[in-house]
Amino acid sequence: MRHVAVVDLGYGDAGKGTVVDWLCATRPVHTVVRFNGGAQAAHNVVLRDGRHHTFAQFGAGTFHPGVRTHLSQHMVVDPLALAAEADHLATVGVPDALDRLTVDGDALLATPYHRAANRAREIARGADRHGSCGLGVGETVQYGLAHPGDAPRVADCHHPALLRRRLTTVRDRLTAELGPLEAPPVEDCLPAFTGFADRVAIVDGSWLAGALRTGTCVFEGAQGVLLDEWHGFHPYTTWSTTTFANVDSLLAEAGRPGDVTRIGVLRVVTTRHGHGPLVTEDPSLPFTDRHNATNPWQGRFRFGHFDAVAHRYALAAAGGVDGLALTHLDLAGPDLRICRRYDTTDRLTPGPPGDLDRQAAITARLLRSRPVYDEPPADWAEAVRAELGTPVVLTSHGPTADDKIPHGPLLAPPALVRSA
Amino acid sequence: MGSGIWSTDVYDAADRYRRSTGRSAFSYSDSGARTVHPALDPRDATRECRDSDEHPRSTPVAVLFDVTGSMGKVPRVLQSKLPQLLGLLQRQGYASDPQIMFGAIGDATCDRVPLQVGQFESDNRMDDDLGRIVLEGGGGGQMTESYELAMYFMARHTVTDSWDKRGRRGYLFIIGDELAYPQVKAREVAGLIGDDLSEDLPLRQVVDEVTRRWDTYYLLPAGSHYAGNATVLDFWRDLLGQNAVVLDDLDAVCETIALTIGLGEQAIDLDEGLRDLDRAGSGATGTVSKALARLGRGRRAEVSTLPAFRDTAGGVTRL
Repeated sequence: MRHVAVVDLGYGDAGKGTVVDWLCATRPVHTVVRFNGGAQAAHNVVLRDGRHHTFAQFGAGTFHPGVRTHLSQHMVVDPLALAAEADHLATVGVPDALDRLTVDGDALLATPYHRAANRAREIARGADRHGSCGLGVGETVQYGLAHPGDAPRVADCHHPALLRRRLTTVRDRLTAELGPLEAPPVEDCLPAFTGFADRVAIVDGSWLAGALRTGTCVFEGAQGVLLDEWHGFHPYTTWSTTTFANVDSLLAEAGRPGDVTRIGVLRVVTTRHGHGPLVTEDPSLPFTDRHNATNPWQGRFRFGHFDAVAHRYALAAAGGVDGLALTHLDLAGPDLRICRRYDTTDRLTPGPPGDLDRQAAITARLLRSRPVYDEPPADWAEAVRAELGTPVVLTSHGPTADDKIPHGPLLAPPALVRSA
Repeated sequence: MGSGIWSTDVYDAADRYRRSTGRSAFSYSDSGARTVHPALDPRDATRECRDSDEHPRSTPVAVLFDVTGSMGKVPRVLQSKLPQLLGLLQRQGYASDPQIMFGAIGDATCDRVPLQVGQFESDNRMDDDLGRIVLEGGGGGQMTESYELAMYFMARHTVTDSWDKRGRRGYLFIIGDELAYPQVKAREVAGLIGDDLSEDLPLRQVVDEVTRRWDTYYLLPAGSHYAGNATVLDFWRDLLGQNAVVLDDLDAVCETIALTIGLGEQAIDLDEGLRDLDRAGSGATGTVSKALARLGRGRRAEVSTLPAFRDTAGGVTRL
């Protein structure tokens, strides 16, 4: 059985959600597996009848009856936001999202203390904000790395005494470092976390191996490779591995290394929400994004021309893909151009993971670079294929699953029959 | 990328989790699906129960239950109980390497999903098939459902190493409360399963075919519309003899199936099985002993007294 992994080769917002929704609409999918990030993800899915949901922790296939979501151990799980998201799903006709959810007990738990610390730090950065979403995801990862033995994890929600101890330690450590935090008392947090444990199936790593044996799973990435903790443009990155690395390790742990079709998602308009380099940014582009409003944590949503240099870099950093999904083709018009090189360079080369000085140097160089534009291509899919040397296997011409066109056999919908 | 769209308030979240109780296990059905899930579609399908290195002597067990309206809450109770079956069989060692398949039966004359059949699985992945079953809740009101189609599928669209390599029959449990149609209709088979039959098959012929390879039981549970109706029980006794079994407490369904298999495999006699249940703290011994008394007698040389009924209130209720 061939599973599918969907990763964004930009700065996020390319349309992973709509691609995952389309995959689940066109074939039997057992489970959508989330493998990075946390509640800060915002994957928008719009149905033909106009219903809309911004998927944060639930998989973007949840509108399809029976499709499960699994939050793997690489996720930062936020039970508070999860409850609110489940409630919204109920209002748009999905009453059983929590029933179809499994969560790995080893996943880190985002707490109100992490969130408050994240906000305190980002405010302190003033004009040098990193573009954080203010939900404490990075803070949670950072804390987990610093204190692996006593960082709160999902399975702790079954053990109130242990959880109380760990929450108290988080609060005390972060308060000692940052001063008083705007967050509720530990006792008040406990009912929310224990309520989560009572309601949601918390499982161990073997659950995913079973799901991978049983049916097709779709691995849904969050954010984008250009924001990757090691390959993104430091310091405007996320505390998350946004490449296929986590997918590869989950499959290897389940004894199915390499059993996956890798799809890279690109948007014809290169966008970025939050601070950091966006070489092809052009405020004169006549676009707005109704799902990405200006917000106090990331500022306004930024639009740019198709940045082939940056996307080529992301493709190399991700280790290549089997096919590309190209979205927002309905936005391509005479105003939208393609950038194949900058004035300073035509190629960025990924370095080894962990060399943040090198990444900071790339960032400095990008902030000085000017884009060189070519005329708008007549055939965007062909232009992107030629520029990235990778086939475009899906194009998206609108927000719903009906607006997608598969090209070639790689993602062609199989017959909806599963024989033994 | 996002910006914290969903509320992260602790008081709010605690309240939301409190309110969202009563999970539905029939998630596929309850989220509005009214067509067969692709994983359970009998069309052009063959279900296989194969040996493997891990499970060298597979024992096939199929459980198909009526999901029409006359069954009332029975399908939902079964859905919550049946996941325990595999663990029960494995722990008690009544059968070697059990592989279980779940399916559902409706009425081909008026239902949208008259037949749903899952895969044989040897781990808890079979629970997923239970979750994918569409509950009809309809039915024809003429005390008849399409059990004959299910038996036809089992007779002609299943392959088991147990039979092919060892000549051993598998176990088929049909749980329902109505009569089968007198004929397997060629038209329905063509539409639902995809076989081209030249003519309708009499029910008796299909029962003969299925019982050749499948040790077939009909369980008539309490709580269904026609429970206790002599017409239904007589109908199935006529077809399956003592293998038509009345089950007066649905909570005991897994134990009843497990002991039936244990008896069939000659791993236990009824007394031993009931003692096993009792030792494990099961509250089902009364129901099971009543349901299986005829089976147990049929297989044993001597008649034994049943162990005392044990009150397990507050204790463990499953093996």
